[in-house]
Amino acid sequence: MTIKQLDQGQHYRPRMAVLKKIEGLLMEMQNPDAGIKTHTQRVMITNIPHAVAGGDILQWIIQHLQITEEEALHLGTMIVKFGYIYPLQEPKNLTLKTDNNLYRFQTPYFWPAQKWPADDTDYAIYLAKKNIKRKGDLEEYEKEHYNLLNKKINYKWDFIIMQAKEQYKAGKERKKADRYALDCQERAYWFVHQTPPGMQDALEYGLNRVTDPNENKVNQKKTFDVYRREIMYYRQALMRSTVKSSVSLGGLVKYAQQLLTNDPLLAGCLPSNPWVTDDPAFWELNAKLVEIPTKMRVERWAINFSELIRDPKGRQNFQLFLKKEFSGENLSFWEACEDLKYGDQSKVKEKAEEIYKLFLAPGARRWINIDGTTMGITVKGLKHPHRYVLDAAQTHIYMLMKKDSYGRYLKSPTYKEMLDKAIVPQQTVRKSSNFSFTRRQLRSSPSPVILRQLEEEAKAREAATAMDITQLCQFTAPVPHLAVYTGTCAPPSPSNPSPSCLIPTNLPLQSPGHVALPNSAVCPSPISVALESAPGLEMKWETSGSNSSHFPSITESTEISTDSESGPCNSQVPGHVDTKVPPKSRMSLSFSRLLKRGCLNSPVFATLSPKCPAVPHGKVQPLDDLEQQLQQTSKRVTNFFQIKTDVPLESRIYPIDSEEEEEDCHRVSKDSAKEVICPWETLTEEGKAG
Amino acid sequence: MVKEECKVLLDALNKVAACYRHMVLTIGGTADSQNLREELRKTRQKAQELAVANRNKLTGVLKDKTVSKEDKAEFERLWVIFSTCMEILEVDMRRALELGHEFPLNVPKKHLIQTGMSGGTSGVAARAMSVQNMKYEAEHNIDVVDLKDLEKEINQMGEMMYEMEMKVNVPHWTVEAKQDPGAELKSTVSMGASSMGMISVEENKSFCDISKVLAGVIFSAVLIIAIVLAVCVVKLS
Repeated sequence: MTIKQLDQGQHYRPRMAVLKKIEGLLMEMQNPDAGIKTHTQRVMITNIPHAVAGGDILQWIIQHLQITEEEALHLGTMIVKFGYIYPLQEPKNLTLKTDNNLYRFQTPYFWPAQKWPADDTDYAIYLAKKNIKRKGDLEEYEKEHYNLLNKKINYKWDFIIMQAKEQYKAGKERKKADRYALDCQERAYWFVHQTPPGMQDALEYGLNRVTDPNENKVNQKKTFDVYRREIMYYRQALMRSTVKSSVSLGGLVKYAQQLLTNDPLLAGCLPSNPWVTDDPAFWELNAKLVEIPTKMRVERWAINFSELIRDPKGRQNFQLFLKKEFSGENLSFWEACEDLKYGDQSKVKEKAEEIYKLFLAPGARRWINIDGTTMGITVKGLKHPHRYVLDAAQTHIYMLMKKDSYGRYLKSPTYKEMLDKAIVPQQTVRKSSNFSFTRRQLRSSPSPVILRQLEEEAKAREAATAMDITQLCQFTAPVPHLAVYTGTCAPPSPSNPSPSCLIPTNLPLQSPGHVALPNSAVCPSPISVALESAPGLEMKWETSGSNSSHFPSITESTEISTDSESGPCNSQVPGHVDTKVPPKSRMSLSFSRLLKRGCLNSPVFATLSPKCPAVPHGKVQPLDDLEQQLQQTSKRVTNFFQIKTDVPLESRIYPIDSEEEEEDCHRVSKDSAKEVICPWETLTEEGKAG
Repeated sequence: MVKEECKVLLDALNKVAACYRHMVLTIGGTADSQNLREELRKTRQKAQELAVANRNKLTGVLKDKTVSKEDKAEFERLWVIFSTCMEILEVDMRRALELGHEFPLNVPKKHLIQTGMSGGTSGVAARAMSVQNMKYEAEHNIDVVDLKDLEKEINQMGEMMYEMEMKVNVPHWTVEAKQDPGAELKSTVSMGASSMGMISVEENKSFCDISKVLAGVIFSAVLIIAIVLAVCVVKLS
């Protein structure tokens, strides 16, 4: 048995609903009163009834459906193309001619139906019959098909021949006129279903899908959960605000008009279109974070706020301005939110926590100013973080920047300076075609990996310089008592260097204690209040741990990236870089060396956080004492909190901690003790320098 | 001989299938009528009987282990022909069912398609049933009544084919056709003369061929007579 045709009955592939509709129309046409008038076709000496003129068909369609002539003609042609009506005088020309050309209706067996696709066997039988009738006089394409089919279904060939002969003989039992009509019918059928080369296949409907693309949905067991989700989805869909099309179209037109001159294809570009002149200067001049952008680009930033913000160079410049205004955290927060939305989704939880700790928590180092309701919503959402959890806050900050800072930015010297600096490239003269034959020196653009590293470095540098200014602003932000909430830690030792914001973080590498504390001191505790669940608390711990583990890793990365190719820590960098990375310094070299051995110190410091009071500035203890203290407290704390970590760095650390810490501490103290003594001194140094 | 019997049975089934196809073509057209539906029914039943007979015979032979290799190959070939015939029959039956539903005969609002057919299919039916004349004795709502039976028979057919497939293990692709492509042409020399009746314009060539032969025959006859006369004249003179 041959593999039977899979049931293709109108299930999963584009259905031709038009076929059923045409059938209805065709039935109406047969109405003796209201249908089409029929004539008789005269062929030689016989008369064959039921021939209709093309013009009659057209008129009938116009009258019956009340449509214009053009549309009726189109519909009529479609009917002929599908094979419901076939022309008598020019069988191959499947169009509706409105003169006296005669047509006839096709017998229902030969109507096109998706359920009954044209069969190879039938076609072979038809060709064999034709062979018999015409004694081998087939058309070229028919001969080809014949040979092909002979090879393809060779095992059926005997049957085909037998059947062809029998059908031919059976046909003889009919009237002459009927025989003729039958022939025409069958021929017309095969013109439609097996189109000769050059003819358009009207029954082409695209892909023939055997499987249901919606299978999962269709066969999904409708559980309670499924329905609940559906309801949620539809409710949200209802709540969505929609824009009138007139408004959105107006916006589009305005946009197109405004930015017409910026379009390199429509309005030409300077220096020249690289695709035309083979000169990539245009791309080089318009690189993401190019030193000196083009004038056109800078002017574009003045059009509206979104233009400024979508251009990385614009953002950079804007950030510079904001820093001067002491609202740099806004843009940093916005960027962090973008990263959360579009970045690695497996790290959503960690990132969200980071952002909270850094920007949103009361007393955070870079606290952003959003209103109470938004804050409430955000904090609530953070219980179940997902990529859009910070949307409300982000929008608020965006609008704040747009309405407030943007205006001032455009008038600021920062922007004006950039505008002055911006260049207008010269239009390159198209080189003469003589050179087109010589072997052109093709330079490949730098690898994206390297580009990304450079970007990160640049970001790190930017973020580092950001530290100076942002630190100062923390004095104005409210700094609540931090030590209170958890209450389970060991009593804070007065010698512990201060947490939080107030310690300049550009230098604390030398004193690892300082390093981590600012980060983690952003108070996991308020978070523990905000998030009732214990897992949340544990998560806080681990993120604070990961936080600080990121921190040294960031320094590591900045080191590594300058020294060699990318390190594995790079991936953790994005969200945190601008907020935590200290600048490179001689001190950092030693520390990074330490860190390369394993970011040991971080978790130690992480555990310190809850108990660190907000001491305005740190009197720095000699490091070895600090280390030991930290060690002890960490051990105590770790016991209590049963930290579960999934960050590999940390998991590596804890077991090794106890052994290696001792040795490393000494090394650390030795190294850093040599180089730096007082962070605040170095701060002033930096301040002088900066 | 078993082979001959098998062949005969198969030819019969083939014939009936061809006739059935002809009749199904006419459903829905102006040549449709209660008679046609009755013919369809009768032909269908005949086809089923023949199918069963064929199946029994062929399965019997194929299961027989004492058959020689060439014979076995031959029987396998016949088997493939048989199963293909069955498939065509089944498809035609399904289409007949569908068309029967679409074109009930006694509903005044539903008009038959004017397909240009005016004559009946009694000749075809007679050929299928191997009788001289068809007798029509069914009720006048056979078109509706028959459909249920048709459905049942389709199911039966499907089951039978499935059974056949399961019981007899003949891979179809191993069968080679005995007839070459274009074999139908060779056996139709005798048919050429009868196709003179075809009216279609493209058939002119058949006319020409025959007339050419005739002309040649006449010419040669005339030539021979002329030669004979000349010889006689020479002899007499």
